[in-house]
Amino acid sequence: MSDGNNNAEIVSRSLWADAWTRLRSSVLAMSCLAIIALFTATALYGEIVYWRYNIIDAAAPRLLIPVQKAAIVLLMANRVKGQTAPYHRQNLDRQYRRPGIVTFKQADGTVVREFHLMGTDGLGRDVAQRVVQGVRIAFQVGIITSLIAIPIAVLLGCIGGYFGGWIDDVIVWLYSTVACMPALLFILAISMIVGRGLEGVYLGIGLTTWVGLCRLIRGEVMKHKELTYVRAAKALGLGDWRIMFRHILPNVFHIIIINFSLRFPGAIETEVIMSFLGIGVQNEPSWGIMINSARFRLWYGVWWELTFTTLAIFLIVLAFNLFGDALRDALDPRLRTEGESK
Amino acid sequence: MVPTVLGIIMITFLLFNLAGGDQAMKKLGKQATAKSMEEYDVQRGYDKPLLVGLWGHTRAYRSDFSINAAPWINREGAGYTNDPGRLQLAADRAFAVPLAFDLADRASYRWTLTFRNPAPSPDAASARLELRDGDSVICRVALPHSASWQEATLRFSTGKDTSALACYVVTGHDALELRSLQLHKRARHIFDSQLIFYLNQIIHFDFGRSAETNQEVSTMILGGILPSLMLTVPMFFIGIIVEVSLALVCAYFRNRFIDRFFVVLSVALMSIPYLVWIIGGQYILAYKMRLFPVWGFESVRYLVLPVTIGIVSGIGSGLRFYRTVVLDEVYKDYVRTAFAKGVGKFGVLFKHVLKNAMIPILTSVVMAIPFLYTGSLLLETFFGIPGLGNLSINGILNSDFDVVRAAVLVGASIYVIANLITDLCYTLVDPRVRLK
Repeated sequence: MSDGNNNAEIVSRSLWADAWTRLRSSVLAMSCLAIIALFTATALYGEIVYWRYNIIDAAAPRLLIPVQKAAIVLLMANRVKGQTAPYHRQNLDRQYRRPGIVTFKQADGTVVREFHLMGTDGLGRDVAQRVVQGVRIAFQVGIITSLIAIPIAVLLGCIGGYFGGWIDDVIVWLYSTVACMPALLFILAISMIVGRGLEGVYLGIGLTTWVGLCRLIRGEVMKHKELTYVRAAKALGLGDWRIMFRHILPNVFHIIIINFSLRFPGAIETEVIMSFLGIGVQNEPSWGIMINSARFRLWYGVWWELTFTTLAIFLIVLAFNLFGDALRDALDPRLRTEGESK
Repeated sequence: MVPTVLGIIMITFLLFNLAGGDQAMKKLGKQATAKSMEEYDVQRGYDKPLLVGLWGHTRAYRSDFSINAAPWINREGAGYTNDPGRLQLAADRAFAVPLAFDLADRASYRWTLTFRNPAPSPDAASARLELRDGDSVICRVALPHSASWQEATLRFSTGKDTSALACYVVTGHDALELRSLQLHKRARHIFDSQLIFYLNQIIHFDFGRSAETNQEVSTMILGGILPSLMLTVPMFFIGIIVEVSLALVCAYFRNRFIDRFFVVLSVALMSIPYLVWIIGGQYILAYKMRLFPVWGFESVRYLVLPVTIGIVSGIGSGLRFYRTVVLDEVYKDYVRTAFAKGVGKFGVLFKHVLKNAMIPILTSVVMAIPFLYTGSLLLETFFGIPGLGNLSINGILNSDFDVVRAAVLVGASIYVIANLITDLCYTLVDPRVRLK
């Protein structure tokens, strides 16, 4: 960067360390990262609450039974055995209460004072607990769809870019065909066929959203294939797969990271739409389901359910969008040289 | 283009015919009679073999002994053991095979069964599978004694009247054990398959009938196009004009307050979920302020609100995209030249830069055309506009496979055509591109 003293002061930094320095200097990126961390912690908390109430009844495959037993002990699930999970707990005495301290009379005459951060919904359930479960489901969807889509994209992109020829032709044909499918409709059709529920959401989003990343990776691999380090590796007699995944892949890995942080909010929004339409999550408090039930209540002046759900979606999507942009600026070498020449 | 179209046909075929599973069951429910499911299958060609082959399916008799012996329940003399799943038939009896409905007339069928005698006694008469019309035996196949598993088939054709037709498994003096028993229906010829049926439908632009409304799907689609276009075309063009103008304004004031403001605004707008735009707009503008009708499709007034919501919700991503496009151009040499020769900032932006930015803008415009066709799935559902989006969503909610498949197929085909148009349009806006 500084051209004057290039003999003694050069400290070599890896791409990642360099990117981290850049990110850290940006207040916006760091606050987005903080929001993401906060949401991740919330998702983990939601996961703990969920499993605490569901692990005993979960049907684990034989291999996982020790894990299940350990989890039951660890989560102290026996203490809440037979109880309804807090996000499902109904109480018709406290329907539609505003956020804050809720006072209500129970059937036996006792007056109860409770604190509900985000109020209660039409069945007297605590909205905050349900929003937390929504975070959990959103993170599950974001992560699992990425786990489906990214390996497909990386594998096909690497193979197509590296080998070229007819293999490349087939892969290009495959992704241009999938790209032609009308996006949301195709996702909905896949999940209709898989069946209602989270599996349909995972497969629908996962099997359709790999095209963009695949294209990028293929292009990058084609470029790297001609570079000297790959030729050197070839001259040393290394195998194709080793060159592809040990040598080229680490050099294009930043694309995957950027893509992950930008696809995450998209997956969340699609899941919200699917659950809203009733073909996504079933019987669990997903954000889509909450928006669906809250929208009619809005007409009777119950604003808090919709507002807090919207706020949660808005914050997480905004944080991921901004952080993804910052990450791209920090990691993409091409953008960097442009920025410095100006 | 041709390979892509073939790919689309292949994907929809694989998705709905192969991965789709038992659609009749999903659509009609578990309570439906085998007869009505068979009708559903025949109407859609699902009784035929998948790719090529002679033997298709029929629901007249269906059993999988590895799971249960459902049709044989409560038959005297017939017992079932699971693990491994087998049907045991007692000696010296005639068992009528339980058919769900009468076989089709003038059709060919084939029985296939795998059997053995657990304790064979060679001198006793052997078992047989018979086809009887009333009391007279039409054809039969003997099931010779054997302690090991054997397979036998019986082929037959039905005549005009099938009401008295019945199939019997007649056991000999020793018990018979069945591992599988299947009935297949013969297709007309070897290529009379689901794939050819589907291709034939596509060629004739006939997508079958909706299982929900019993209308022809092609009519439903044609009827939905106009309302969809009435919603999406204004939304699309006004949206593009607004977005490109704002992008140019951003470029004009780049790195100054207005630019920064719009960048932040566009990211914020992008992050508000689409559903909330619709719900909020409907609640505040239509319900609270009573500016627009809430729901329906009667006059232009009903379209104003959905169009506005569509534009506003799209501005975020559109503005961001066009701003990058414009900024890519702004640093090029011709811009510097234009400034040097004294063209004003406005003239440079709206004449020189806009013309050169037309290529990526055009790409994004033409690529958005297919989405005009599918309409706005959610907007149409929320505002009750009877367009294709509404049609597709209803199809998905009702498991109306024919409608959804047709919507996906037509949507994808239009995308391919739009791709072609983009390539052609490049030659119009960019003289460097020539068609070979």
